[in-house]
Amino acid sequence: MEEKNAIEVRDLVISYRNLKKTSLKQSLFRLRRQKADNFVAVRGISFSVKEGEILGIIGKNGSGKSTTLNALAGIFSPDSGEIDLKGHSISLLSIGVGFQKEMTGRENIMLSGMLLGFSKEEVKAKEQKIIKFAELGEFIDMPVRTYSSGMYSKLAFSITAILETDIMLIDEVLSVGDQKFKKKSYKKMKKLISDEHRTVVIVSHNISTLQELCDTVMWMHDGEIRRIGEPESVLNEYVDFMENS
Amino acid sequence: MIKRFRMDLKKYWRYSIYSARSQLKSEVANSYLNWLWWILEPFCFMLIYAFIFGEVFNAKEPYFPIFIFVGNTMWIFFSKTMNQSVRLVKQNKSIVSKVYLPKYILLVTKVMVNAFKMAVSAMIIVGMLIFYRVPVTWNVLYAIPLAVTLILVCFGLGCYLMHYGVFIEDLTNIVSIVLRLLLYLTGIFWDIMKRLPAPYNMYVCRLNPIAFLISSMRDCVIYGQTPHRKLMLIWFLIGCLISALGIRKIYKNENSYVKVI
Repeated sequence: MEEKNAIEVRDLVISYRNLKKTSLKQSLFRLRRQKADNFVAVRGISFSVKEGEILGIIGKNGSGKSTTLNALAGIFSPDSGEIDLKGHSISLLSIGVGFQKEMTGRENIMLSGMLLGFSKEEVKAKEQKIIKFAELGEFIDMPVRTYSSGMYSKLAFSITAILETDIMLIDEVLSVGDQKFKKKSYKKMKKLISDEHRTVVIVSHNISTLQELCDTVMWMHDGEIRRIGEPESVLNEYVDFMENS
Repeated sequence: MIKRFRMDLKKYWRYSIYSARSQLKSEVANSYLNWLWWILEPFCFMLIYAFIFGEVFNAKEPYFPIFIFVGNTMWIFFSKTMNQSVRLVKQNKSIVSKVYLPKYILLVTKVMVNAFKMAVSAMIIVGMLIFYRVPVTWNVLYAIPLAVTLILVCFGLGCYLMHYGVFIEDLTNIVSIVLRLLLYLTGIFWDIMKRLPAPYNMYVCRLNPIAFLISSMRDCVIYGQTPHRKLMLIWFLIGCLISALGIRKIYKNENSYVKVI
C-alpha cells in the first residue's frame, strides 16, 4: 500500500518582526529603527507527515514547537516556505474557543462548532453526543457563566473531542476535570489519536506520553530540526541532551 | 482575492449571524426588561434630546423629535461601530489566537449587531411618522440606499481602524476625540445647513459622509425631498471602495495580528 502524505512542510520560516505594539509617539519618532529587530522562531524546517501517522514534537521552551503548530493550523502565516495540507481539514485542539459566558452550554456548542468551521447541521447532528460526553446533565441549558471551572473545561473538551477533523493538532495532551473525567478524557484522546485514518501532531514535554502515542518524534532546537525519527532513539538522545546541558 | 472573499463569506456567514444573535442576547440576558431595552434606550434618548433642544434651546426645525431621532440613530450606529472596531481584535484574543477565521468576520458580526439595533430604531421612526402625521412621499424609499451606504462606509472605515488598532495603542484615544469633533460637525441636534455659516456648511455637509447621509435621510423621510442623488452614488462607490481595500488590508496582515496581541 502506498502511503500518502497528509502534511508537507517545506523550508518553513516564521519570524516575529518587531511587531510589538507601539504608541503613536514611538512610531512617529522611531520610524527608522523599527525594522531592526527580527526574531526568527522557526528557521527553514522541512518535514512531512503521512496519513494516519502520529508525530510528536519535543524541544525546550522557545524552540519553535508551538509556533510550528500554530502555522500548521493557519493562525500564523509563514514568512517563507510552504505548508501543504493536501486538502485535509485541520484543527488545533484548544479549549473553549469563542465561548460567550451569558449563553447556555447548548448555544455555546453551536457557536464554538461553527467557529471551528463546521456547518450548523454538522454540529446539530453531534450535539447530543457532545452533551452526553460532557456529563453536564441539565446544566447544558444554563448560562456558561454559572459553570464551575471543571464543568467549563469538560464542555470545552467535549466539543473539540467530538467534532473531529482529519488532522488534529494538539498542544500538550489535555486532561481535564475530576479524576474520573480525566481518565475518560485521556482515554478519548488516545482513541482519537490512534484512529488509523487520523493524522495527529502533538507538542508535548511529557516523554512517556510521546513514547506511548507517537510513531515518529521530531526534536526541535532553536527553530531547527535537530533529529527526527523513531521515538525511542530521539527521545533518549533528547533526555541525554537536556540532562547534560 | 474576490474569490477567496466569497468563499470565506459563505463559510462564515452563518457563524456571523449566530454570533451576532448571541451577542445581542447576552447584552440583555440578565436585565429585567430584557429585549425591551433595545427599544426603550433609543426612545428615552430621543425624549431627552427633544426636551433639551426643543424646549430649552428652542429649536425651530419642523417635526423636531423625529429630526433628532433619525440623526441620533444613524450617529449611534456610526460611532459604536468605529469605537468597537478599534479594539475588536484584542477583545477577541481567545478566538484569534486559537483558530483561523478571516478577521473581518469579527467586524461583520459587530456591524450586524449594530445594524439590528438601528433597524429597531427605524421601526420607532415609522411609529413616530404615523404619530406626528408626517406627509410621507415616495422619496422615503431613498432611505434604503442611504442605509446601505452608511453600512458600507462604516464597514470600510472599521476595517482600517481594526487593522491599525492592533498595532497602535493610542488609536482608542484618537478615535474618541475625532468622534467627538465629528459629533458636532454632523448636526445631530441642529441643521448644519442653517446653523453653520456659508460656505462651510456646504463643505461639511458634502465632505462628512455621516452628515451628508443623515441630512439626506431626514430630507427623504421627514420632508419628502429627493436627496442629492449624484453625491449619494459617489459616497456609495467610496463606501464600496474602502470596504474592498479594507478587506484586502486585513487579508494581507491578519496573520501577524496574533503575534502582537
